[in-house]
Parts: sequence; structure tokens; C-alpha cells
Amino acid sequence: MTLFEASEIVKVFPGVRALDGVTLTLEAGSVHALLGENGAGKSTLIKVITGLYRPDGGRLLMDGREMSFGSPHESAAAGIGVVHQERNLIPGFTVGENILLQKLPTSRGLVDRAAIRSEAARWLAELELDIDPDQPVTELSVAQAQLVEIAKALSVESRVLLLDEPTASITPNEAALLFRVVEKLKDDGRAILFVSHKLEEVFQICDTVTVLRDGASVLSGGALADLTRDEVVDLMVGRVHEALSLPERAVDTAVPPILELRGVGTASGHADVDLSVRPGEIVGLYGLVGAGRSELAKALLGLDRITAGEVRVRGEAVKIRTVRDALRNHKIGYVTENRKEEGVFLEQPITRNIAVTIWDRLRKVLGYVPAKVETAMVTSYVEQLGIRIASPSQLAGTLSGGNQQKISLAKWLAAQTEILIIDEPTVGIDVRTKDAFHTLIWDLAANGLAILLITSDLPEMITLADRVVVMRDHRIRGELPNNHDYDQMSQQVIRLIHAEGTTAA
Amino acid sequence: MKRFVRSTEMTLLVIGLVFFVGLVIASGGDLLAANSIRVLLQFLAVPVLIGLAQMVVLAVGQLNLAVGAIGGFAAAAMGVLMADHGVPVPLALLIGFLLAGAAGLLNGVLVVLTRINGFIVTLATMTILLGVQYRLVGTRTVDAYPQGLKTFGSAALFGVVPWIFVVALIVAALLALLLKRTVPGRQLLASGGNPIAARLSGISNDRSVIVAHALSGAILGVAAILTVASSPGVNKSIGGDWLLPSFAAPIIGGALLTGGSAVVLGTVLAAFIVRFVDTARAEFSLEPSWVNFVVGAVVLGSVVLGQVRARRQERRAVVKAPDAAVAGGVS
Repeated sequence: MTLFEASEIVKVFPGVRALDGVTLTLEAGSVHALLGENGAGKSTLIKVITGLYRPDGGRLLMDGREMSFGSPHESAAAGIGVVHQERNLIPGFTVGENILLQKLPTSRGLVDRAAIRSEAARWLAELELDIDPDQPVTELSVAQAQLVEIAKALSVESRVLLLDEPTASITPNEAALLFRVVEKLKDDGRAILFVSHKLEEVFQICDTVTVLRDGASVLSGGALADLTRDEVVDLMVGRVHEALSLPERAVDTAVPPILELRGVGTASGHADVDLSVRPGEIVGLYGLVGAGRSELAKALLGLDRITAGEVRVRGEAVKIRTVRDALRNHKIGYVTENRKEEGVFLEQPITRNIAVTIWDRLRKVLGYVPAKVETAMVTSYVEQLGIRIASPSQLAGTLSGGNQQKISLAKWLAAQTEILIIDEPTVGIDVRTKDAFHTLIWDLAANGLAILLITSDLPEMITLADRVVVMRDHRIRGELPNNHDYDQMSQQVIRLIHAEGTTAA
Repeated sequence: MKRFVRSTEMTLLVIGLVFFVGLVIASGGDLLAANSIRVLLQFLAVPVLIGLAQMVVLAVGQLNLAVGAIGGFAAAAMGVLMADHGVPVPLALLIGFLLAGAAGLLNGVLVVLTRINGFIVTLATMTILLGVQYRLVGTRTVDAYPQGLKTFGSAALFGVVPWIFVVALIVAALLALLLKRTVPGRQLLASGGNPIAARLSGISNDRSVIVAHALSGAILGVAAILTVASSPGVNKSIGGDWLLPSFAAPIIGGALLTGGSAVVLGTVLAAFIVRFVDTARAEFSLEPSWVNFVVGAVVLGSVVLGQVRARRQERRAVVKAPDAAVAGGVS
């Protein structure tokens, strides 16, 4: 039975047709996947369905009746619940208040706390969650917060539930909990829309699929059972997507490591970390979210205290105190995980974003940096990395995610680093840009850069790394040479991740 | 209960009590005399209110530089209406109160309509209102208003608790009720705590900002009434020294400058502590400049303390999170 239908939706922004005739049908008791590369129009479609944007054409139908949503309030009232990509809870509020935020129950003009407690408990019970409605949300784990958001989406008596990348920031274990909840909601007869970049998940829990490309639906409501993974990827990228083939690249094992950690412990809880990277080598540091990989990188850069062991750079024991020290004296660069928060100055032009690490080198008398010098230097990196820009003075915030990521990489290349730590380079980046990025990292290593690649993306790890080091609970759990055989490698890595001896208390 | 023991309010309560006991001992018990207590509380009423007026805009993630100007302008308007135009007391007070509320409302509307930073908007309205206040009273001190009002201003319940202090406490209680137990109050805090989430939940952040500024103005209206009632007269300098204490009380009280926190009790307690500093100065005949020095240091100290606390909490959350997720997830 069709619960909800978006038919021939058009949404125009100045200069762009963000949606150009998209049709999406959601059936009761079914999980429907919405797929598409970045910029294909997924988020815009969700915003139209939830009343944040008004469509410029097309119709929204609920139970066959045409609807028009002027605000999130109206779509919620119609029975559409949504869990947005952004974390969506109010920090100072309790779980119960957050769940019922859209419609706080009142009695005699005052917020009715008893009603909040019992109402919220009802929705938590519906999801079989063991969470106290009176608990402040700041005490929840990421996964619990995610599930509370689902309870919030249900609390508007929703029969249609939109989940926008719900697994982006949780671990596979936690995702399994989420999928159980999704299964249950499906069995209760709700229609669920599941947006994700992770195809494995889509094939695991979805029944049907709509694929968007360049703002149009190229497949609307196909049964996933009839499709292969490759066919879906081809639909998304609009051409036959070939597995990435990279040229041969050999690591000279006779060369001593340029970066070496011996028995390193840190203030954030690492212990006995041994790790080494040679020039021209890509070492993959694999682990689940929260395993302590980024924290290790930050300790290496002096952002956290190293409490035990020693770090050797070019054979000498060093103490790195600041990022400036790491860059200037040891030529270590760090491409951060959260490019928007940590990697790019969104409100600044591209030139300044790249030149920021090398102003000392470019400056003339009295610290003056000639714009011409800056632009020339920047242009060379823009070309080298294939960054698509209109002009070097364009603001970084106006670029796509993939190009922003390239810019945060370019600034470290400009600084002539010899050791590069790259943290989750392709999270939230579409398939095509991902391939370009992988080729780029590969080429950098071929040119002699030592690369420590932190990633939770197993295919990425197995494509790129020469050696895979597995971390769990802030300790190294094993090291494997990579034979680039996906099935074999993934099994070995997963086995290490789930090996005996869980130290978690 | 455990949460309260570890809260900023509890810390302030302990500090305040220790401070007070110290002062009582230092004064040889004189401070416990009915008259001393009355004076102590008499000068607390207005600081409590201006702290709350700032706290409510901080709660939505804004600030109000015009607290003194709104209060001073409203007080001047009331004084002039009563003294120069013979307007009856209740009506004059009502008009002054409404003017203050309207000035706050105007701040909110301007912030929302122009999308200009609240700092600039309230800086501008502050300057404008200071001009109006000067225009109204010039260099005079307006004091020819009915004695009845002044009597109320100095009257005290059982001869100990000044009525104006009771009024301030009532306002504080109403504000707490509003922020914690009413829908507009909860929405205001939601907007301050996470504006994106609030918007996606169908809450109008614009309305929250306007409500916060209007509330701030209304509270300042009450502060102006109490000032007129308890001062010998109204002049151009009323409100001139309100700005710093208005920030000191909520910040010491634990308000987050990023918004989302409702610390009514903390603000009230912090106002007490600031008042004790002043009392101590009088007690030990120190130079008045010491008061500013101490209050400034306490403000800095409490912000640093708050940051340390937040960082510690963050660290605890990070360490705990992965296991808690699995243990407390789906049962």
C-alpha cells in the first residue's frame, strides 16, 4: 500500500535545478533506499518533503491526498517523522523533552513533566530502548542519541520515517542495533526512507531503491533483490564504474622508517603503541570509531600529551610540542577528519586556505605577502590536485566536499611535508571523487611521501595501504601485510577487531 | 539530587554561606541585626533583576548591552511623568514598564529583521536611549513624586525583608517557571541550545530571540520601578553602572555564553556574592575600587572554572561512550 508519494518534484535555486522531476514512492511496511552521489539532490528532496523548502513543481501525496507543507511543523502533523543528518538534540534538555520537543504536552499552561515522562517512555518502549526519559541527553552515547532521535521522529505519530545517513557517525555494532529497530518499525507497517552512502547497509536492510543523479530520479522504486551492487553504483555515477586500477608501486624495505613509535602511551589512554612508516609507504591505521586513531595522530602533533615510550623521526628521538613544531622541524602534516570544522576556513578564499601553512616562506619585508606570489603558488597545487574552482579568490565554503578536502590536503603539500597523516579522507564523498582521491594519495606515496592513513572504510584501506595496522581500545591489535585481496583481507582485519581480550570496563 | 550537589548553584550556595558567616564574625555579629540585613537586601533587589535581564538574553545566545539604558530611560520616564505631568503613580509606573518592555521588544525585532549581530543592535539602542534619558531629565534630579511610592521603596516585611527585594524574588520565581515549565520558555532555551535542531523541530528561532529580548526589557521595567521607589530621585546617571553587574551575575551563576542555559537560581546567588563583596568593603573600610577588582577577578575565575569543568565532563563522556552505547542500547 502506498503511504507517501513525491511526484515529479522540481526545486530551482538561483542558477541550479537542484531537483528536476524526482519521483519517490514509499510503501507501508517497507524500507526504501535513497541513493545518489553528493550533490545529486538527496538532501534537497528531504528538505522538500519535510517542509523546509517549497517545491517549484510536482506534488506531494499522503494516502493519495495532495499535501502542501509550509514548515517542518506541518509535515510532522501529517505524520512524517525525520531524523536529520545533523545531530539534533538540545544539550540542556532531558531525553523526554527532546523526544517531545515538537509538541510539548501541557496542563494548565505549564509543561506537564509527568506526561513527558510517560509519553517519552512509551516511544522508548516502542523502540525497546532501555533509556531513562529523565536522563540529560549530554550523558548519552552517540548511538543512543541517534536512537533517541528516532523516538523523537516517531513521537509525531509518524507513519512515514525519513532517516538521513543515520549510520554516518556510529560503529558497526551500534548500527546493528539501529537496524533491528528499523526492522521492527517496518514490521509495524511504517514506511521508511533510508539514505546512506554505505551500499552494504542498503543491501542489508532495504527492500526497494530510488537512485538520484543530477537532480533527477534515474531509478524509481526498483526492487533491490533484482539489482547487484555494481548495477547500483553504475546508476549512481551514470557510467559503468570500473574498479580502480592503480599503477605498480613498490616500497623499498631497505630504507629505515622516517616515523617510528616505540611503546607509546598517551594521556588519552593509548598504551604500548608500536608503529612505523617508511618514505613512499602507505600504512593504514584501521579501527572502529572511538578506537583512538585520531587521538593518536593528535598526540603525535603535540595536541595531547605523550606519557610513555618514544617517537622517532628520521631515526632521532623527538618531543613534538606543537603543530608548528611538527610542521617546521619535522615536516609532519595532518589532514583532519572534520574538514568543515578543522580543515578549511570556509569564509576565506582558496588562496589563503592553501597558503596558510607557508606564509612564513612567502612573506617579504614586514610580513607582507604579495597576492601574486600567493596566487601563483596556489594555482600550481590546484592544477596538480585537479581541484575544480572558478577562481583562486573563490571562498572555500562554496566548493563541494571533495574539493574542500583536496584543499585541506593541498596546504600540507605546499608546506613540503614528508610525513602526512590523513584522517578519514573520503567520509561523505561520492564514488567518483573518492577514486580521484585514492589515485592522488597513491601518487603522493609513489613520489616518496610517508603516509599514515586513518580510515574506517575497509575497501579504501585494502585499496591503498601497503600494511594494515589494526587498533582497538587505544592499543595496536595486530599488523598485516596487504595483499589487496578484499575478501581475504577483510576477514583477517575483522577477526583482529573482534579478537579476544576486550579491555573495556 | 546528586546532580544538584555537583552543580554550580551548590558551589555558589556554599561560597555565599561561608562568605556571609565570615562577614558576620568579622562584624562581631552586627551584621545579623535586623537593620543590617534589611540594608543588605535593599541593595540586592535591583542587581538581581538586571542579572536576570541579561541572563534571559544569554539563554537564547544573544546579549543585551542596553540593560542600563533601558532601565535608566524607563526610570526617567516614570519620574518625569509623575513629577512634571502629575500622572498618577500606578499609571506612570505601568507606562514606564511598558516602555521598557517595548524597548526590549524593539531590540529583538531589530536583531531578527536586520540579521545584524545583537551586540551592534543593542549598542545602538543603548546609545539612543541614553540620549532620550538625558533629554528627559537633563542635569536635574527629579524627586517631586508622591511620598507613598518612596515609602513602599523603603518598607520592609517584618522590618527585615524589604518589599522591593520580595518583588525581585517574585520576578525571579516567575522567570524560572516560565523558562522551565512553559512552552515558550522551553522553546527559547531550545533555540539557544541548538538553533538548527530547534528549527528542524518546528520552533521559530526568530520568535525565541524576540521573546528573550522582550522579557529582558520587561524585567528591566520592574528594575526601573524598584529604582524609582527606592532612590531619593531620578537623574541621568541611573542605569549607568548596570552593565557590568548584569553580566557578572549570570556568568558567575554558570550561564553559558553560547546559549541554552537557564540559571535563575545561580544568577540570584551570584548577585548575593557580589553584594557581599560590597558589604565586606564597607565593613573593612576598603577603597571602593577593590570591589570592582574583586568582582572582575571572580567573573574571570568562574569562567575558567566552568571551562575546566566542561573539559572534564567531555573527557569522561569520551571514555565512557563506546561501552555505554552497547550496554544501554536495545535491550
